[in-house]
Amino acid sequence: MKKKLIATFLVAVLMVTTVFSASGCSSKKADGKTHITMLQYKPEAVKAFEKMEKEFNASHDDIVLEIESPNDAMTVLKTRFIKEDPPDIIGIGGDVNFSNFVDAEMLMDISDFEGLSLIKDAYKEIDKNLEFVPTDGVYAVPYVANAAGVLYNREMFEKNNWEIPTTWNELMDLCKTIQKSGTLPFYFGFKDTWTCLAPWNALACGLAPADVCRQVNKGETKFADEYDDVAEKMLELLPYGPSDPFAYNYNDACTAFANGESAMYPIGSYAVPQIQSVNPDMDIDSFVMPACDNADDNILNSGVDFQFSVTKDCENKEAAYEVLSFLLEDSTIQTYLDDQNAVPCKDKEFQLSPALDGMLSYINEGKMTDYQDHYYPSEMAVDAQIQTFLLDGNVDKFLKKFDTDWLRYNRDIIRKVQEYEEKGGK
Amino acid sequence: MKKKNKVAANTNWPVTILLFAGCLTVIFPLYMAFVIAFKKPSEMTNDIAGALSLPKSWSLENFAEAMRVTDFWHSFGYSLMITLITVVLAILIHSLAGYAIGRSMAKSKFFNISYLYIVSGMFVPFAILMMPLVKQTAQIGIDNWFGVIVCYLVFYMPMNVMLYTGYLKNIPIALEEAAFVDGASTWSTYWRVIFPIMKPMHATVAVLTALGTWNDVMTPLVIMSGTGANTLPLAQLTFQTQFGTNYNLAFASYLLALLPILIFYLICQKQIINGVVNGAVK
Amino acid sequence: MNKKLSRNRTFLIIAIPVLALFFSFNTLPLIKGLMYSFTNFRGFGSYDWVGFRNYIDLFTDARVGKSYLFTFKFAILATIVTNVISLILALGLNSKIRAKSALRGIYFIPRILGGLVVGYIFGYIFTYILPAITGHGSMLSNTKTAWIAIVIVAAWQSIAQTTLIYISGLQTVPEDVYEAGAIDGATGWQSFKSLTFPLIIPFFSINMVLSMKDFLMVFDQIMALTKGGPAQSTESISYLIYNNGMGGGQFGFQSANAVIFFIVIVIISVVQLTITGKKEEQL
Repeated sequence: MKKKLIATFLVAVLMVTTVFSASGCSSKKADGKTHITMLQYKPEAVKAFEKMEKEFNASHDDIVLEIESPNDAMTVLKTRFIKEDPPDIIGIGGDVNFSNFVDAEMLMDISDFEGLSLIKDAYKEIDKNLEFVPTDGVYAVPYVANAAGVLYNREMFEKNNWEIPTTWNELMDLCKTIQKSGTLPFYFGFKDTWTCLAPWNALACGLAPADVCRQVNKGETKFADEYDDVAEKMLELLPYGPSDPFAYNYNDACTAFANGESAMYPIGSYAVPQIQSVNPDMDIDSFVMPACDNADDNILNSGVDFQFSVTKDCENKEAAYEVLSFLLEDSTIQTYLDDQNAVPCKDKEFQLSPALDGMLSYINEGKMTDYQDHYYPSEMAVDAQIQTFLLDGNVDKFLKKFDTDWLRYNRDIIRKVQEYEEKGGK
Repeated sequence: MKKKNKVAANTNWPVTILLFAGCLTVIFPLYMAFVIAFKKPSEMTNDIAGALSLPKSWSLENFAEAMRVTDFWHSFGYSLMITLITVVLAILIHSLAGYAIGRSMAKSKFFNISYLYIVSGMFVPFAILMMPLVKQTAQIGIDNWFGVIVCYLVFYMPMNVMLYTGYLKNIPIALEEAAFVDGASTWSTYWRVIFPIMKPMHATVAVLTALGTWNDVMTPLVIMSGTGANTLPLAQLTFQTQFGTNYNLAFASYLLALLPILIFYLICQKQIINGVVNGAVK
Repeated sequence: MNKKLSRNRTFLIIAIPVLALFFSFNTLPLIKGLMYSFTNFRGFGSYDWVGFRNYIDLFTDARVGKSYLFTFKFAILATIVTNVISLILALGLNSKIRAKSALRGIYFIPRILGGLVVGYIFGYIFTYILPAITGHGSMLSNTKTAWIAIVIVAAWQSIAQTTLIYISGLQTVPEDVYEAGAIDGATGWQSFKSLTFPLIIPFFSINMVLSMKDFLMVFDQIMALTKGGPAQSTESISYLIYNNGMGGGQFGFQSANAVIFFIVIVIISVVQLTITGKKEEQL
């Protein structure tokens, strides 16, 4: 009898809770203010954004800004889209996700936003190139970029009088010199397949056309013709790394480089915090990957790491623009930069991290190209394919599969591009 | 209990020793986790001697920091609430369903098909249900901790019903018939006779269900992430960023999360040891 | 007669709400998921119907075929290893030993360690410790041995649950069965084979089905240890579904994959249950 009572009681509790929850917890308070919600994808920057949120709300009486920095933000964002409860502003990277959002018509055209004139043209170009099919309008405000080349141990280089290489041959000679001195030239973390993309992207900047993916979509060329140089140079790097680079993951490689086991590490500036957590006093600098035979042909690999877009269904465009303007203010940008090592997209001088010294001239001249992998659909697993290629060393097999897979995974996009071309580019 | 007196005399020493030796396979990884949880990131190295060495100082700093970052007590509270409610409801509802189905499936086609229908639900990959469930729970308005509980009740129903019906096969129908003869209804027979007998299985189901819900990250992530509330696994995702993982804080946090469920297991498995069936048959 | 009718009626009253709940939150979403499998839905935004294109792609996709082969190979080995070790362990933990609670607690810990912890520690063991001891390379970077490494870790974690179920099962074997057997002279292996095992067959079949299903759905250990590598040799079916369906934009295609996967698992489990179901005895 007692058990039955307990059971009935619990069922009653259940019903009551249902009634309460079913009434919906997401109703906005009727306080007469405009609410702007923003979802951004870097949980590691949560402190910077909390500060920004506080400052904005303190200085704006009529708008309330709420910033969410969830873990696994892309999955959360997709659930918000499915629930038809999208945030007003999204802070995402300039990558294939952005391309997909533009293609699926989920973003608002913000070409009338004044703040856009403050952004360096090179970055606005990069965003335009991310669109599968050139679409009228501007869909994002580039905020910060990152830079990827080769990280090196400045102290070790100075002690041994090694010079920064500016051509491919100089790099190969440097590696041989380092090897003779008993240190590993490079460390690789190829067990984590995404790290294979770091040297790949850097090499492709100098060796392949920046819009090669769009050219292939148009049917004008094949990857087998454009990426062969990149693939071969990847193979040439292997002998200068650990004997089994596929056994070590990103964290192992960061730890090894931090502990001085190698002189260089071909990865982007984003890895610096992890490396410095193991060795806080390490003096790290970077140089642009010297993929070419001529020093002037080298290009810095830099892409938009963080940008803001407004979702199509946002009802308060004016308020959203207010938020964006605030975010573009110098002090706000500096808050972000101090927290994360990054390169601002705004056309102004800012204090940058010393780990970027070797690349400053390229940054200031705007001599940069986006990451090739920003155009690769993630399901094609190019990173895993590169790893497989490095394991068996067969350039032709790899590139042939690249071409075949590309056609399969990009079917719908290729169709759209070709339709666009047929209509004469309108 | 004459058993207790026998234990001392009848201890099976070879087996005991073997089991202790086997413990190494668990203790060694646990030792590593422990040591890393106390170290600082600057003490991390790939060198084996360094990795296995004891930390330079035994400060609880990592644990304190981990608790701060994950908003420990709030997240813990949500995890606890969700897990407890799910376990209680699972024991009540799934055992009832198991009883109804278990006793009828031999004779009734309807119940046989119901059994297969529910059990087949176990094989539906969560990936295929995830997005539609997100939309559904949002439409009904339960895209919060309550929706998470409902989802869990449905996910664990197949396994638990399977366990209960299996257990029922070893409970003689004679027991119920005895109660019937005394004039009891099916409902009260269940609660007074069968439910208590299934205690070891209740404990098993409690442990398995609690385990599944305590460590689960996907369901809370997609269903309740917009509510500002976190469960412990959800909060622990903070340690893994795109380009860096703070293993020391993460391990400290995981060790903290391990304790409650371990304690729960130890409590439950005492119930599993003291099986009641043995006495009932007499 | 009345008793029987009211008994059946009570059972129906219990079963129907439960079935309704199950239908709403399991079958309905499944049907929606099934519908998505006929589209090129990305997980958001607009999409088009593509009919059976996804299914045709599935059957001609070498990567999907490889993932099925790997997953089956893995699941069969892992199920056998796990169940054999668990049964032995359960017998051991159920017998007259010292420190029963402590030992049972310790053997349960692998199950409650999160993926991050397991991935890091076992990654370290396979990458640094084992090579130092054996002189060979890391198991995880070799396409021939990586899958075995995952079997080891998956089994390590699953043994706890399987053992728990066997222990519960062993509790249902009444003492007098052993006593009766002892009188007839049956001990040790004989006693196990003819007395214990037949009575715990329901739990054996439950464990076989659960193990097989869990290992066929392996995802956490793949994410933690190899992320599908090296050279994409350890991509499990679930890994592809989650990675490409949720993470990538292949939601529609991977939904079709999930549907096929579901059908395959159901068939396997039904076969398993039918075979072992015939042997179960009701006391």
